[in-house]
Amino acid sequence: MSRGLQRYILVRIGLTLPMVLILVSLVFIVLRVLPGDPALAILREGASEEALAAFRAAIGIDRPLHIQYFDFITGVLTLDFGESMTRNRPVVEEIKTFFPATVELAIFSMLITATVGIGFGAYAAKNRKSGRDYGIRVSSIILYSIPIFWLGLMFQMIFGAGLGWLPVSGRLDPGNTPAYTITGLYTIDAIIMRDWDLLVDALRHLILPSLTLGLILGAIFIRLTRANMVDVLEEDYITAGRARGLRERTLAYRHGLRNAFIPIVTLLGLQFALLLSGAILTETTFSWPGMGRLIVDRIYDRDFATVQGSIVFFALLVMGFSLIVDIAYGFIDPRIRY
Amino acid sequence: MATTTPDAVPLSIRELTADVGFVRRILRGRKWYGTEWYITVLGGTILVVITAATLLAPVVAPHDPNEFIGAAFTPPGGGLQTLVARSGESPVAPGAELSGQTVGVQRNRNGSNLAKELELDSERYQNQEALLDGLAGGEVDLIFLDQDVAKELVTSGSGFEVVIQELGRRYFLGTDNLGRDITSRLTWGARTVLGVAISSALLASVVGISLGLLSGFAGGRIDRVLSLTMDSIYSFPGLLLAIIMAVMLGPGIFNVAVAISVIYIPTFFRIVRGQVLSIKESLYVEAARSLGAKSRNILRMYIFPNVIPSVVIVFSLNIADAILTAAGLSFIGLGLPPDVPDWGYDLSKGHQFLVAGRWWMITFPGVMITLVAAGFSLLGEGLSEILNPRLSEN
Repeated sequence: MSRGLQRYILVRIGLTLPMVLILVSLVFIVLRVLPGDPALAILREGASEEALAAFRAAIGIDRPLHIQYFDFITGVLTLDFGESMTRNRPVVEEIKTFFPATVELAIFSMLITATVGIGFGAYAAKNRKSGRDYGIRVSSIILYSIPIFWLGLMFQMIFGAGLGWLPVSGRLDPGNTPAYTITGLYTIDAIIMRDWDLLVDALRHLILPSLTLGLILGAIFIRLTRANMVDVLEEDYITAGRARGLRERTLAYRHGLRNAFIPIVTLLGLQFALLLSGAILTETTFSWPGMGRLIVDRIYDRDFATVQGSIVFFALLVMGFSLIVDIAYGFIDPRIRY
Repeated sequence: MATTTPDAVPLSIRELTADVGFVRRILRGRKWYGTEWYITVLGGTILVVITAATLLAPVVAPHDPNEFIGAAFTPPGGGLQTLVARSGESPVAPGAELSGQTVGVQRNRNGSNLAKELELDSERYQNQEALLDGLAGGEVDLIFLDQDVAKELVTSGSGFEVVIQELGRRYFLGTDNLGRDITSRLTWGARTVLGVAISSALLASVVGISLGLLSGFAGGRIDRVLSLTMDSIYSFPGLLLAIIMAVMLGPGIFNVAVAISVIYIPTFFRIVRGQVLSIKESLYVEAARSLGAKSRNILRMYIFPNVIPSVVIVFSLNIADAILTAAGLSFIGLGLPPDVPDWGYDLSKGHQFLVAGRWWMITFPGVMITLVAAGFSLLGEGLSEILNPRLSEN
């Protein structure tokens, strides 16, 4: 590892720590400091004074703010998010149960996003300023304007309720719960255990949710791919290749796309926050037992500890992910240095 | 002549200033701006139509959006009733007054609503079969049938005849689970959506632009802290941020707007800060500074006006995104109080009846959200090409 790369990684990690602190503090500010009483927000209007006071004591918001903040940060640093208030187990265990479903949904959606995005984006860039280019661009704008949960509803209505081809909710058919899980991703578990029925069942349940999420994110990705490809196709070596008589298709897809690939994949990594936002809505639509469902359900269950813990978990997750993407980018592209 | 000039050739001054009508000027825009012009006009048109419809909602919307006007789950185009009697035994002549008659109706359907409205005595039946038996058996002499049912049933030789073809009102897009008119809910709902989205974008832009100007102009420690904070917010899933803000602030239109605006402050901040940094180095700012202009004046007269075009584009794109976020929030069931007509809320209600095949409840609100969001996106996209000609090289 070169000195430059080492320095880059160290600086990047050094920048991440204050950002984590800021983000976690923001979560704290929103949940504890801003006007709006969590007790009232969770228990709703009409709760008795005693109930409110008991709730405040239970989540520890009757203590002075600086002590609360200290406890909160200590909890985050030791990855201790406290006990769930409705389920008799630590919040960390809850997250362990629900997180794999989100990961599985995210992976399959990303596969669709990458296929759709790179395919149409590269095609539009190759045929820049043509009718097909404008068609793809306008379609991607309109596709991105579709509310993610509504696309899900339409898929449910057409392929689920209407044609009856695919299941509309859950990760597996009712009653088909695997006895134990290894990774928590049912598709991968099924392959490891060579349980092909389980694999088919898991895949059938994955199709509609991941199509929903993947297509909407694909719309953004079409535009990113197109913009990057257009830049690459204006490079001198493409012109040189053209002068040597290479076919346009070879130029675009073999020489162009290959070089546009690195920034495109990085950009895909940067859409991570968007992916998580979309996952929350997709999970709500398809009753998919992932992190989004966990948060939304527990808001209704008035389980403040789990909601807070899950949000902090998301904060750590996005920070960790963007750190990894940036470091990977540093390895791939030697021009990226501080 | 304009008709034979290729796009690239500049038009004469006379062409540009020619006194032509509004429509022709819009159609000619392509000559200056390229195909992007059509994208802009398409987006603008969608928005103008929807805005006009919702501003005229008291006139355009057939009913009160919260009134339980019809029967639940009336399909689109349904609602009209046909008065049917046994062939040749109708107690009233076609077109005559109905008052004083007793009419058989199906319970909880549009027919029973109509009988109530016309102040007729009614005999209620549990289902359509019982209703037809009642008529055939002579329990009642007249019945209200849904128009399409009547059309199918009352053929020659069925023993029934149509007395009055059309009665009552038609629900163009159907009714929801509580019998509210979907057309009216959509028309009024546009106010909610536009109100929330535009006010959240306004809030976000005011805060974001101010902080961006401050950060870019002041530099130093303020800049570093603000940038890091904004980057952290930006990297966090926006919907999640809106969810916790909405939970904490409680339901209400203004609260939702605040909750959503937080997501978009970093977008404005970033674009403004970046612009300020580059404009600050430009020659004319340096010239103004060396002539002794005050910082405040440099900011106000030289930097701020140059930031505006980018802000306009971001503003339009942000409204589009805010519409989707607001819809997502109310789909989850957070944010707006239930008496505010809102598309996202209607979709979450429709979700419950999806398996029952009430397709109209989830189809139309979604189409509206898509249309409005696409309108703002297209407008923003088109404008960005037109206002930033350097970018449109791509």
